[in-house]
Amino acid sequence: MLLLVVAGLLPIAVMVARSVTAAGHLSFEAYRGLLTSPRQWLLVWNSLTLATLTTLGAVALGLPAGILVGRTDLPGRRALTALLAMPLLLPPYLTAVGWMAAGSENGPVANLLGQGAAQALFRFLFGLPGCVLVLTTAFTPLVMLLVAAALRGVPPRLEEAGLLVAPWPTVLRRVSLPLVAPGILLGAALVFLLALGEVSVPPSLRYRVFAVESLSQFSAFYDLTAATAAAMPLAALTAVVLGLEALAVRRSGTAHGVGVLAGGSVLTIPLGKLRHPATVAVWTVAVLLVGGPLMILVGQAGGLGTYVEALHSAGDSLWRGVALAVVGGALLAGLGFVLAMLVRERPGGAGTAVDATALFLFAVPGTVMGVGLIVLWNRPWANFVYATPLILLLGYLARYTAVTLRLSRAALELVPEGQIEAARVAGIGWGRRLVWVAAPAAWRGIAAAGLAGAVFCLRDVGMTLLVHPPGWDTLPVRIMTLAANGAPSLIAALCMILVAVTVVPVAVLSMILGRRAVVR
Amino acid sequence: MKLLELNSVHLAYGERVAIDGVSLTVNEGERAVILGPSGCGKTTVLRLLAGLAVPDRGRVLISGRLAAADGRLLIEPEQRGLGMVFQDLALWPHLSVTGNLDLGLRARGVPRAERKPRVKSMLELVELTELAAARPGELSGGQQQRVALARALVLEPRALLMDEPLSNLDLELNRRLQEEILALQARLGFTLVYVTHDRDEASGLATRIVLMRHGRVVRDGSPQDVQATAQ
Repeated sequence: MLLLVVAGLLPIAVMVARSVTAAGHLSFEAYRGLLTSPRQWLLVWNSLTLATLTTLGAVALGLPAGILVGRTDLPGRRALTALLAMPLLLPPYLTAVGWMAAGSENGPVANLLGQGAAQALFRFLFGLPGCVLVLTTAFTPLVMLLVAAALRGVPPRLEEAGLLVAPWPTVLRRVSLPLVAPGILLGAALVFLLALGEVSVPPSLRYRVFAVESLSQFSAFYDLTAATAAAMPLAALTAVVLGLEALAVRRSGTAHGVGVLAGGSVLTIPLGKLRHPATVAVWTVAVLLVGGPLMILVGQAGGLGTYVEALHSAGDSLWRGVALAVVGGALLAGLGFVLAMLVRERPGGAGTAVDATALFLFAVPGTVMGVGLIVLWNRPWANFVYATPLILLLGYLARYTAVTLRLSRAALELVPEGQIEAARVAGIGWGRRLVWVAAPAAWRGIAAAGLAGAVFCLRDVGMTLLVHPPGWDTLPVRIMTLAANGAPSLIAALCMILVAVTVVPVAVLSMILGRRAVVR
Repeated sequence: MKLLELNSVHLAYGERVAIDGVSLTVNEGERAVILGPSGCGKTTVLRLLAGLAVPDRGRVLISGRLAAADGRLLIEPEQRGLGMVFQDLALWPHLSVTGNLDLGLRARGVPRAERKPRVKSMLELVELTELAAARPGELSGGQQQRVALARALVLEPRALLMDEPLSNLDLELNRRLQEEILALQARLGFTLVYVTHDRDEASGLATRIVLMRHGRVVRDGSPQDVQATAQ
């Protein structure tokens, strides 16, 4: 918990203090400049519009997708889940690069439908609609996975009681979905906040948003006070949105997701006559939104020579990113598991505080965390952190512990309470219970959490862009900086290398972990 | 008149045979209690009657109509006109007591003007009027039990299926609720199929006892006959 506070809360607390002081005195000068500028209000409006539309889009797609892959007899559910979840593993701007390649002068749209269609696609892409399309694709998996997991946790008996009086659509609408409403609400809140803090897609598609403000105040003008003041509204909004979400959950009287991922039997919803039309519709949307941009990137990258050139020009960033992701993933797995055990054994006060803190730090925009880390660690005595990859690792721990914490909690839910209680009765202390009893029983979940943590480290852009020490940029950051002037084929090849580096280990390890689970 | 029928029904979950050639008929107005130890298949019989499980082989008939046969579900659970009280009650935690009673009526298209008095009179019948707005989590075990009973009965089912609903209650409450069930059955005249592993409970409620072992019916008769042969 202390690590989470030092890595995440302390930077934000120092940032708050910094934003309201000038020359050692209380001052709101930075905020005055921020609040009196019509330009800033326009940026805020743009950000809220983008976040709202993205949330609506992600819920509109993610909710039915979650029901279909989580509970129905739709054919190919596993493959569909993997395809639809892929954007969550990748930096969101990759999809934007794919769509831009589709609409380019020599892109597939121009070749197939003519220059007029390509120009129309370009006009659509650059601005709010394009940003909504790309971010909806990027964040729909979050809602889909939360809904699917929550629906798998609904006690079958409650649905059977409903089935005695009503058909499946009514049971789903009146029983199942209200029970998982907190999970849907959490997904919507996270999508809203992640879209609000997104700094890679809007600049690529030339849509001006508030989150980019603190980034440019720091990287373009090196004005830390202005950057801090610009980051504060986003931090405050994160706290407000998550607070409202928690309040709504408390008032609804049901917990997040009704035993999310708790396992056990679930009822399958038969699609009946809708099975084939639904299959065609869902696969069409998935291939168009997710597979399409990636296939276009493959086409634009061209032959093997471009990949060799790409590796030659940005291979160092790739290996650095992978190394940081591996170390970050391992640390996140460890921290997430320890905290999950704490939450399990102390579900009240301390456990709730840990969970809420981790969720806040996950939802807070990457630039806010980046500015906070700079404000805290940019001091001569702290160069061993600020000027080394340690700053990145601290940032990753702060931002992504929520991911490994949630996954570890789900893994621990599958460990029978009696196993841990027996160790307790036998006088085995907390630390040894953790290492001797809980970890061996939940190792598969810990490994999966570490993998997810590593993926999130590897795809991070907003925070890494701000805090990476000289010579420690990662591949997503390198692609972003090259995107403005680099050759399109080279950018496309780098994007595909990033996809391969992310997706292949995830697929291989998922298969290994899944297979061993079956064997045991 | 025959209301519920199982004809040579067989059902297995993978390798495990749950029901092995069970034939059973329940007549209108009867209080049939299925008695047997844990894992003997008595809950599966209820699930087959309710339409929540489908027989691998054999037939299920409701009021003479074929409801399921040889792996096919022919009448959906909600169209069978049966009520069920589950062992864990399965009250919907996000709905109030009124909401729990109202949902089934609403799903069947009963107009609002008719729903309200039906829910009200059912709550009066089970003496829960004052707790109409409460959520299930705010009620005692006995009160939850009565909500589950009211939820099933408000739909005026042709038969009420009860799956060990009193097994988690203390002895005194168990006896009191048995009396309430008998009083309600006498007043409303519904057919009762009641599953339990408790002989005393079976004797107290049944006009007929069906004794099950290892997925088969081993005795079927009046409480006196079954108890006598069992001893």
